[in-house]
Amino acid sequence: MTATLADTAAKHPAGDPPTLGYRVIGWTLTVGGLIGALAAFVLTVEKIALLSDPGYTPTCSINPILSCGSIMTTGQAEVFGFPNPLIGLATFPVVAATGAALIAGARLPRWWWLTLQAGAVFGVGFVHWLSFQSLYRIGALCPYCMVVWVVMIVLFTYTTLHNLDRGHLPAPRRLTNTLLQVHSAIPTVWLLILTALIGVRFWDYWRTLL
Amino acid sequence: MPHGGTGSARAAGAAPSKAAQSAAKATRKIRKTGMSTNLKVTLGVLAVALAVLAGVVLVNRGGDSTPVAVAEAVVRPDSHRLSTAVDSKTTVVEFLDFECESCLAAYPSVEKLRAEYGDRITYVVRYFPIASHPNSYNAAHAAEAAARQGKFEAMYKKLFDTATVWGHQQQSQAAVFEGYAQELGLDMTRFKADVASTQVADRVKADAADGETLGVQGTPTFFINGEKFTGRPDYAGLKAAVDASLNS
Repeated sequence: MTATLADTAAKHPAGDPPTLGYRVIGWTLTVGGLIGALAAFVLTVEKIALLSDPGYTPTCSINPILSCGSIMTTGQAEVFGFPNPLIGLATFPVVAATGAALIAGARLPRWWWLTLQAGAVFGVGFVHWLSFQSLYRIGALCPYCMVVWVVMIVLFTYTTLHNLDRGHLPAPRRLTNTLLQVHSAIPTVWLLILTALIGVRFWDYWRTLL
Repeated sequence: MPHGGTGSARAAGAAPSKAAQSAAKATRKIRKTGMSTNLKVTLGVLAVALAVLAGVVLVNRGGDSTPVAVAEAVVRPDSHRLSTAVDSKTTVVEFLDFECESCLAAYPSVEKLRAEYGDRITYVVRYFPIASHPNSYNAAHAAEAAARQGKFEAMYKKLFDTATVWGHQQQSQAAVFEGYAQELGLDMTRFKADVASTQVADRVKADAADGETLGVQGTPTFFINGEKFTGRPDYAGLKAAVDASLNS
């Protein structure tokens, strides 16, 4: 009988549809939310430090990271009239708490997941607008901002995959299955494209490092 | 992710070893087909990206510049000299960006130094526009276009004197620079054509490329007789270095 079981399993290697377990989504939201909250916290503290001390830069550098102090003084750093990191400071902890609840075994209603999805859509849209501004309008990179870009892309991908998987968002099952089968390749490709854009944009500087 | 495999493997655990083996094999097979499709694709993508990166690094590595090439890169025959020393003993080269607040901070010191030493030193200005400053290239192009009508120094002064007016604005300040050119009495048809020309753009880029060869990473960077100046770029610091060079 055991042999039959094993045979059946062998004949249908992909018998189980691919799925994201609650532990995977739970840990992703917890870790992502915590990293995002930490980055937002550091950015807020830096913003306060910057306000109290405009600071002295001995030289203007072609290193896009060294000239990042200038990013926080731009209009793009306060799109809604207050410093952007305050948004992350308020929202990332909610994401982390959601993840922790899932790990603890809580199962959340559809409206909760759709709210999380709405937040993820806003967040991922916002960081892409910011990264466009950073690359092509301001011409400088800010490391903690980039941490938030990475976190948002990962959180958006997994929240969306989860919602597709559990039917909170409507989509053809085949498409969902295909996406689930390559779940970590999605943010990987996404981030590599972003990395390539950064590489090209600041090539003049990277070249000096070779 | 497959969950079915674990159950059948556990069931097989109680059975004779042959069945256990085949069950374990089946489990591995399931893991491979389900889990590792994702892992394979992800790692594959990363491997391709690494290969591309390695290729880019290898292609761009190039040999290190020879010492002669480096010495020549400090001052070129066509570099803009604000003054030329009679005895050609001391040459000060400044790589600058007209939109850099640190260059603007150093500007009064430089002008004081130039007024004081006059023709006892050769003072050379070289372009090193920094990409994070929206109008750094436009300003350099305006200075170079003015240079083509013999007005480099006048435009150099004008750009720094008005830097707080046009600096750090995200819109192009080309029209403002045209206004300055007009004030300086330049031939405007020629100025506009020069500003837009590839020759002017290439001339600015050539200066910046020399700076990169010399290891310039920011502005202002000074070279005194080919040696990179490492002190504070203020009047006292620069004067001390110039005096040391003149008295050597």
